Amino acid sequence: MASPKVAWGAKGGFQLCPLCGFEFQTDDTLCRHGCPLRSHCGLIRCPGCGYEFADRPSGILGRIRSLIAPREAWEEEVCALVPLRTLRAGARAEVVSVRESRGDRRSTLAVYGLVPGAEIEVVQRTPAVVVRIGETELALDPAIADEILVREPPGDPKSPAP
Amino acid sequence: MEIHQPAGVAESRPRLLLVGNPNVGKSVLFKNLTGRYVTVSNYPGTTVEVARASSTWDAGATEVVDTPGVNDLDQANEEGRATREMLARHPDALVVQVADAKNLRRALLLTLQLAERRRSSVLVLNMMDELEARGGRIDLEALSERLGVPVVTTIASEGRGTDDVIRALPTGSRLAVDQGLVAKLEDAYARNRARLEQVNELLQGVFALEQPTQPTFGVRLGFWAMHPVKGLGLLAAVMAGLFWLVGLVGAGTFVDLMEVGLFQQRLNPALLRVADAVLPFPHEHRIEELELTVEIPVSPVHAVPLGSSVREVEVPEYELTGPVVGWRRAARFGHDLLVGEYGLLTMALSYSLAIVLPIVATFFFCFSLLEDSGYLPRMAILVNRLFRAMGLNGKAVLPMVLGLGCATMATMTTRILDTRKERVVTTLLLALAVPCSAQLGVLMAMMTRLSLPAAALWIVLMVAVVFLVGWLTARVFGGGSSDLILEVPPMRRPQLANVTTKTMGRIRWYLVEVIPLFLLGTLLLFVLDRLALLDALARVGRPLVVGWLGLPAETAAAFLVGFLRRDFGAVYLLDATIGPNPALDEHQILVAMVTITLFMPCFATFLMIAREHGRKVVVAMTLFIFPFAFLVGGLIHRLAGWAGL
Ligand SMILES: Nc1nc2c(ncn2[C@@H]2O[C@H](COP(=O)(O)OP(=O)(O)O)[C@@H](O)[C@H]2O)c(=O)[nH]1
Ligand SMILES: [Zn+2]
Repeated sequence: MASPKVAWGAKGGFQLCPLCGFEFQTDDTLCRHGCPLRSHCGLIRCPGCGYEFADRPSGILGRIRSLIAPREAWEEEVCALVPLRTLRAGARAEVVSVRESRGDRRSTLAVYGLVPGAEIEVVQRTPAVVVRIGETELALDPAIADEILVREPPGDPKSPAP
Repeated sequence: MEIHQPAGVAESRPRLLLVGNPNVGKSVLFKNLTGRYVTVSNYPGTTVEVARASSTWDAGATEVVDTPGVNDLDQANEEGRATREMLARHPDALVVQVADAKNLRRALLLTLQLAERRRSSVLVLNMMDELEARGGRIDLEALSERLGVPVVTTIASEGRGTDDVIRALPTGSRLAVDQGLVAKLEDAYARNRARLEQVNELLQGVFALEQPTQPTFGVRLGFWAMHPVKGLGLLAAVMAGLFWLVGLVGAGTFVDLMEVGLFQQRLNPALLRVADAVLPFPHEHRIEELELTVEIPVSPVHAVPLGSSVREVEVPEYELTGPVVGWRRAARFGHDLLVGEYGLLTMALSYSLAIVLPIVATFFFCFSLLEDSGYLPRMAILVNRLFRAMGLNGKAVLPMVLGLGCATMATMTTRILDTRKERVVTTLLLALAVPCSAQLGVLMAMMTRLSLPAAALWIVLMVAVVFLVGWLTARVFGGGSSDLILEVPPMRRPQLANVTTKTMGRIRWYLVEVIPLFLLGTLLLFVLDRLALLDALARVGRPLVVGWLGLPAETAAAFLVGFLRRDFGAVYLLDATIGPNPALDEHQILVAMVTITLFMPCFATFLMIAREHGRKVVVAMTLFIFPFAFLVGGLIHRLAGWAGL
């Protein structure tokens, strides 16, 4: 049975791990070889870092489907991942991924401590996004803030001490 | 095992390299170690130049080198390159790494990079006062042990701990951190992540710092300053303050004091008397009654008078009282060259020292104040959106604002921008439409002669030109622009000592740059006047100046010296606009102001653009700017004439 994931997923069944940025083919993962749940689990494990993320169908069809279909538990977790830009001022969050883009931007951000796993606090959103990472305040173009995925801590916005 | 090190110059004497993140107090420590002040700057990236000075503790036997603040030694930007090069050039020099004690995490990232380069170092934890105020603590012994280098604490701004640094220098040793893992990684990002992991391990149980409980005033002000609404309010207030101080107090009160009070009332008559005694020929100087009014300006047209003094003094203009023959001809030539109408002393010195200097000095003072307070990066955040439309990002506001002081200096500062496109576009805007303070002050004085709509038209036009040309070049000019990633340093109360030294440094730089050009410009005018070429020039420039711009033919000379220095041209025009019988009417003042503002700033800027961006860029810019200035000037002449301004 052809899995709909391949049809809906990223081009040619390629996946980009949101955590480590590793690019891999869905067919290479354990999910396709020996996982008893197979296509029923809906999660994909990155062979690079072991992070499990949802293989969400993309495109219009996928969006429609996700509108109709009830959210499952795993989807709730994944939906907790939002772009940094959508956080309100004062919110605290943990960086989950910084998308690889032009040049050495990821590396530049890393120098300021903005890497997956970092605890950040949003100072303001406009005219530029300003985040605090420890003792560093960093202003980012909104476009960059779009490329940073964060997870808000569940419940009240209280983060554990570093 | 032998350590491979890049071939460097043989060490003639011991050297210390100060290395550290931006804004950690490196320049202040440099001053404490050498007694010399360089730049103390709160804006990441303004210390692109490398400063050197001799040590004070061992009678100058050691050379101390201050490097630009860096966050990452592998960085591709100007600061990274300069620091890398300094490290490579002095492979045996001891590195004194200066760190903000509060932000140890980022400092250690740099420490690890130094360790990878197998450098010997001493780690200085500065800003201990701020760490203590925040209830933070660092286990110095454990840190020193884990890194394998001495760790010293300082409060550089109060001069504390400098002796400890000096004492620790001989014990400086090679960083003992295992770098095997990082070295294997190919990608810069992966290396930085590995280093961060390692930093976390190093800091385990060594470093603790609580989040601040209640924000201090500085923190709150810093927050307002970048707030979309309050920030714009504050920006407007800052701009209004800048205008008042530079445009009204500097260009008004201070210039009056210097030009009328010092030069025209006292210095010039004295110089005339000396010249007349040394270089005698039969002549009599005109006597004029000069009034100095000292007032505190409230608005461009209102002022609180403080007092005034009237003196009857001799002025450079004279009438001959007898025939000038023989050696007296030479005496007259020397007299005119020094104290004549285009005299090197009476014109060049009073233009540069009495008119330009007070304005520029006030501006540099204000700029240094803003810089030291940490306000400038916040300004960059506020204008980021606007600058995006010009293919720039908010960082370009720093050279633009500095350009209001001196375009040459600002052109040099465009180095802090990330891409070539951004550097060239910013330079073009600086050269084209950002008037420098001297010129701005002069223009301001001319503006008082304009009606409100005409003055408003001038301002709107200049802003429109900046954005239109910026927008167009961003589209025409290929190459990428970069997104804003800017560290926002804390707002601090500016320290008067820092501000004065920075101001003095800039003024000195400026004077060295400017006075020769004023002398040159005056000399050019003198020669042209002598050879009766000024009139010829006026004739040649007639179609352009009279026909196209509708200005009196004599103003051609203003545009000619404007090639040399835009503000010289403006001062020259100012001379023609104020006084009992002005040569220009209101409409002509507007046209002249527009044209001279759009001129290339000065010859020094021209040279600087060539140095920074190459000959092709400077030729292209010149070919664009001068026709453009005359084109807009002519259009305004017609448009404003039609609108009745
Ligand atoms: N509170 C405090 N401020 C400091 C200390 N050292 C330097 N500063 C201030 O920090 C700012 C940045 O210092 P600067 O020397 O320009 O940093 P650099 O960029 O590393 O050269 C200046 O306003 C200094 O006055 C310190 O020990 N304590
Ligand atoms: Zn005389």
